[in-house]
Amino acid sequence: MNGSLELWLFAVALGTSLLGGLLGMASGIFIVPILTIFGRIDLHTAIGASLISVIACSCAGAAPFLRDRLTNIRLAILLETATTLGALCGVFVAGLIPPKYLFVIFALILLLSAQQMAARRKEPPRAELPRAKLAGAILSGAWDRDLGYAVQRLPLGMALMYGAGLISALLGIGSGVLKIPAMDTALRLPIKVSSATSNFMIGVTAAASAGAYFARGEILAPVAAPIALGSVVGAVLGARILMKVPNDKLRLMFVCILVILSAQMMLAAFGINLIEAAP
Amino acid sequence: MKVDIASHPRLEQTLGALLHYGTLLASSVIASGLALSLGVGATGLRVATAGLVLFILLPVVRVAAMLILFLRAREYKFGAIAALVMSIILLSFFLGTP
Repeated sequence: MNGSLELWLFAVALGTSLLGGLLGMASGIFIVPILTIFGRIDLHTAIGASLISVIACSCAGAAPFLRDRLTNIRLAILLETATTLGALCGVFVAGLIPPKYLFVIFALILLLSAQQMAARRKEPPRAELPRAKLAGAILSGAWDRDLGYAVQRLPLGMALMYGAGLISALLGIGSGVLKIPAMDTALRLPIKVSSATSNFMIGVTAAASAGAYFARGEILAPVAAPIALGSVVGAVLGARILMKVPNDKLRLMFVCILVILSAQMMLAAFGINLIEAAP
Repeated sequence: MKVDIASHPRLEQTLGALLHYGTLLASSVIASGLALSLGVGATGLRVATAGLVLFILLPVVRVAAMLILFLRAREYKFGAIAALVMSIILLSFFLGTP
């Protein structure tokens, strides 16, 4: 072992976790394409390592959000019933789908993410507190009055969260692409609350499938260990530079990167790799 | 009923501390494993793997902590929800194992 692969993996995880944090996305959506396309790492191994990165980012970044009380832990645990159930199903489906189709699904998710990044997120309209009757049934007394927002359209949110858990287990990503519409459009949470709550949830969702990936021998220490360390460092640094809204040029650049990665993942489904191996 | 806020630390703070120190512990085990693996390969990788297992377990421990904290705060509804999440995760661990 000469350490150059480990260093490369560490750097990839650090960079993607840092940028992911700044852009409000999880690192997984970049890690799997980079490991498979540039690192020529087996898809299942890349997904396993990416799940570890998602857990590491979630755990390493959670404390400041919790301290500022941005994380809605009661809503999180409720939505986690849907995401973990999705992950449970995803673990089974993942074993049945040939890598070729996983590449295709990944390419589509990357395109969706590019589209979401191109259309900037808007702060959802504030709910009238007394009219938030829906969540009241389950979440009554669940939010403090001082939070100043109410959870809306919970069933739709739960359905989207189930999908997010499924995709997370299938592709090893945090599934921000489904969580963001669930939180913004369905539940109508303020963006800071939804980012913090989503970050809190992705760790549990990823852990639900990571256990099975580990048992199947698809989480390999030589790949996953440097990725875990890089992710922790990236997430901690990302929290320091905290919540700066990325400017339009940076967003445009990432839209392009996501589209390119999507195209290459689609080609990879047919065994074509146009890019030189990196490490 | 009056609740003494000072002696009743918020759930959020407890969970934040758990995740913070858990991350520190798992990362240090992984880091020492990687450092070892540069010298004695196999042992180092075993240590690093143990660190990875710690990371996978950390969110599960977080759910268990929420279960206990909600029960202690007499929020039985959320305690039950936490128990449900816990059982889905355990089901996934056992059913997903080949």
